[in-house]
Amino acid sequence: MNPLVFYQTVALLLLGLGLYALVARRTLVGMLIGVELMLNGAGLSIVAAAQLTSADAVLGQLGALLVMGLAAAEATLVLAIVLVVSKRFGDASADAPSELKG
Amino acid sequence: MNEMYLGQAAFAFYSLIALAGGVLAVSAASLVRAMLGLVVSLFGVAGLYLLLLADFVALMQILIYVGAVTVLIFFAIMLTRASADGGEGQGPGLRGSLRGVFGALLPAGILVPCLAVYGVAGFPTPKNVSPAELGAGLLGPYTMAFELISVVLLAAMAGAVLLAFEKRGAAK
Repeated sequence: MNPLVFYQTVALLLLGLGLYALVARRTLVGMLIGVELMLNGAGLSIVAAAQLTSADAVLGQLGALLVMGLAAAEATLVLAIVLVVSKRFGDASADAPSELKG
Repeated sequence: MNEMYLGQAAFAFYSLIALAGGVLAVSAASLVRAMLGLVVSLFGVAGLYLLLLADFVALMQILIYVGAVTVLIFFAIMLTRASADGGEGQGPGLRGSLRGVFGALLPAGILVPCLAVYGVAGFPTPKNVSPAELGAGLLGPYTMAFELISVVLLAAMAGAVLLAFEKRGAAK
């Protein structure tokens, strides 16, 4: 077995954990934690693939930094959305904003 | 030979930290504990980055994720908290966890066979890239991505301010 497969397996397990949290959590913040886990697995997978194969290592590491920047931007926006939802609906559960106005 | 076993032991240690933190992050009944699990998992992944000789990425992981993103999540927990557990007290329930397991197994069922069949043979040792080369890459071939991520961050910041802003004297 080569090391790349082990790193990709860890990244895959992080993806699975994040997806589980995204589906099973009741609150928006819990779902956000799951998304962060998934993005972490993505970064690990990118860096492992770039460092352990003949691919461009600079591209891989910069890609992981880009994923981190996107995660920060996404967390900022989700924080604002969670604030708006909890202000309008009283709590931040994912089921709260499920009714259409009409 | 000894160094090889040391590397394997370090890999097992860091991946155990990352996965145990992840399990705590998805299963804790309190959101603050879930965020603590996320921090542990982020440190484990930073250790894996160090093992991959991506030291700059590992430091950025600690700086950006542990330093900034978890603080944002903590603000989200504090500002919206309705009860002590943040609304996760009763857990996902049987149907919720079944759906979660199904959702987690669906991509794994596709990706694991892909990894087994098409997995390329990697080098046993990672390459070493200095931060200077990363900087040269950012200012050379990847300038566009660098500029675009700054625009995305600016747009996210402006959007967050716009969403959370409340006019003085507005309803409430």
